[in-house]
Amino acid sequence: MLGKLDWSAIPFDQPIPLVAGAVVLVAILAVLIWVVVKGHLPYLWHEWITSVDHKRIGVMYILLASVMLLRGGSDAIMMRLQQAVAYQSQGYLPPEHYNQIFSAHGTIMIFFTAMPFVIGLMNLIVPLQLGVRDVAFPTLNSVGFWLTATGALLVNISLVVGEFARTGWLAFPPLSELSYSPGVGVDYYAWSLQISGVGTLVAGINLVTTVLKLRTKGMNYLRMPMFCWTTLASNLLIVAAFPILTATLAMLLLDRYLGFHFFTNEAGGNVMMFMNLIWAWGHPEVYILVLPAFGIFSEVVSTFSGKALFGYRSMVLATMAICVISFMVWLHHFFTMGAGPDVNAIFGIASMIIAIPTGVKIYNWLFTMYGGRIRFATPMLWAVGFMVTFIIGGLTGVLVAVPPADFMLHNSMFLVAHFHNVIIGGVLFGAFAGFEYWFPKAFGFRLDERWGKAAFWFTFLGFYVTFIPLYVAGMLGMTRRMQHYDVAAWRPWMFVAAAGMAVLSIGVICQIVQLVVSIRNREALRDRTGDPWDGRSLEWATSSPPPVFNFAFHPDVRGEDAYWDMKAAAQQQSLDHAAPEYHDIEMPRNSPTGFICAFFATIMGFALIWHIWWMVILGGIGAFATFVVFAWRDHDEYVIPAAEVAAIDRINLEERRSLVSMAGAL
Amino acid sequence: MSDQMHVRTGHDLAPGEEEQHSVGERVLGYVVGLGLALVLTATSFFIAGTDLVWQPSIPVALIVLAIAQMGVHLVFFLHITTGPDNTNNVLALAFGLLVVFLVVGGTVWIMGHLNANMPPMDQIMPMRK
Repeated sequence: MLGKLDWSAIPFDQPIPLVAGAVVLVAILAVLIWVVVKGHLPYLWHEWITSVDHKRIGVMYILLASVMLLRGGSDAIMMRLQQAVAYQSQGYLPPEHYNQIFSAHGTIMIFFTAMPFVIGLMNLIVPLQLGVRDVAFPTLNSVGFWLTATGALLVNISLVVGEFARTGWLAFPPLSELSYSPGVGVDYYAWSLQISGVGTLVAGINLVTTVLKLRTKGMNYLRMPMFCWTTLASNLLIVAAFPILTATLAMLLLDRYLGFHFFTNEAGGNVMMFMNLIWAWGHPEVYILVLPAFGIFSEVVSTFSGKALFGYRSMVLATMAICVISFMVWLHHFFTMGAGPDVNAIFGIASMIIAIPTGVKIYNWLFTMYGGRIRFATPMLWAVGFMVTFIIGGLTGVLVAVPPADFMLHNSMFLVAHFHNVIIGGVLFGAFAGFEYWFPKAFGFRLDERWGKAAFWFTFLGFYVTFIPLYVAGMLGMTRRMQHYDVAAWRPWMFVAAAGMAVLSIGVICQIVQLVVSIRNREALRDRTGDPWDGRSLEWATSSPPPVFNFAFHPDVRGEDAYWDMKAAAQQQSLDHAAPEYHDIEMPRNSPTGFICAFFATIMGFALIWHIWWMVILGGIGAFATFVVFAWRDHDEYVIPAAEVAAIDRINLEERRSLVSMAGAL
Repeated sequence: MSDQMHVRTGHDLAPGEEEQHSVGERVLGYVVGLGLALVLTATSFFIAGTDLVWQPSIPVALIVLAIAQMGVHLVFFLHITTGPDNTNNVLALAFGLLVVFLVVGGTVWIMGHLNANMPPMDQIMPMRK
């Protein structure tokens, strides 16, 4: 009746996951009860859960990423503490639990923190920067978000019901095959990634189509803001690379469920093929994450330097070069596997070549700052911090791209330090910069600068104190994923790293406090004009938060930095006060399709993990029926009358005009 | 959304969106495509079983016919043309082909070298003797 599921699935003998699970469960129940009692449920359902508005979906993506960042961060704290205490002892985490923690940390941080964060920011901002009213497929967008949430939910259910994979974040066979991992851990891993992978692919198709097909009048390719270009490149990579991940995990699942032998030790299986395929996805994946971050830094550096981006065309070229070369370097993840000197040399050289377009970008940002009137607001601090940190991470990357050096450093703490150096210093700093920069656009008030700067400095310094010791430990020969060790020379460095983790945690707490303080002071921090940073691109040309239709009129773009040009022109002409003629606007209706579909996908995923076959069929039919009902809908759009558009738009127009006339008077 | 359809920049139309042709012309296009596809399929089956041509040339002939078949599908059914309204589609096709070439070609190359450098134990043993 319930497949493999029974009471032994709940880890009653392990206090840590059980207590953590209980606390989270109580917190979720408390929030749910508060929502129902206060009567917020209808608001949540109509305005958020069923929303197909790209801005709302973007905010929900970022909320999911933030919650998962805390979960992945707690895993990181536990690992650092374990390695600090586990010198010639077992520490406080038994090996099977420690192995689950490092696997869950990697899986959660990449798939459910970094990915939703960048996809959320792209969703929120790209249609605004392109001057359009929505993404190309609004309901599909909602489906994509909720399927990602399903994956995150399944990973977190594994904390209390059953176990998570003990195989590392990429579940290498033969360890991940049935003979070595008979439990449900790998199944939790694979099914949550399969389901959220569908969501990611859908988001990728949607954003590629949006950039290629929906641009406002005059917004040709070479007038698009840099963030739109990096969005295009990143989502092209999603569309090209994610099917490889899906196919590879599908083959692993066939091995585990139906007795196939793609990656098994026996019967002609080839484990090397798994490494090859998973990294053919895995290397483009790191550029999927970091390209949007490059876009965010381009916007931030140009805005806070008060200058147009230096070398715009070289930046476009560098972005697209990275997009293509990222598919030519994947072997550098397994130089030591034995492909021989010819293959290793070619992939090593390709890996070094990809540093060139990245270097072009760094110089472009530096030249943008050169001679500019720089304002060190919080987003700009993150951008400058990124440049310093990312250069160090990039240089250690070029070092391990040399095959002989990689043979020494492969699987060591040096490598761990390197990729945290580029992912935290690149992607996470970028996500935080984007969060601080676009928060006023999404919510209509700015974030508190003092707490923001405190968060930056603690995170920045905490990062160095945590990860520089890991470089040293790697040089001293420490391998990654060690539950305990007997080498005295490593221990001081593990202590320093644990102390760094404490500093990093203070940074995270500062960020939470910043959010609370800003919400409480929101009237004082209110952004009435919609342009709090003196921005240059079109997202600042509408109110904060933007109305559901984004723009009352389609902006007419005449060049790069569209909104900057409009402001300059408005000051010269001292503004024409002619009342514009408003028209009705059609917008897509909200739809619960995404939520219901993900609900059934969750049931199906859970049933597949536990081999509850009747429930698999139930979930599958439910998800398919949801699509059929959506396909047969009669009304998919509603009309906002011209009068209402005019009423909403005039308020913002007045604020903007008073601002411009004040600037003119000065 | 419908009102965004009119603000599309330039002339890039999605496949199947061209409005300049009449229904008759479009039907004719599909019929020609279907005919060519059928002829190419029939030829493949004929070549595979025939002894009219030099035997080793048969695989090459089949590859040529298969590529021609793909071309027919792209032109008559997916409407990939060289016109300025089709730049996006041609670029997308080129990017897809490039990625498939890199991943498949790279995989064959890497796995071939691995196989040569690290054969299974039962194959190493005879070599040592």
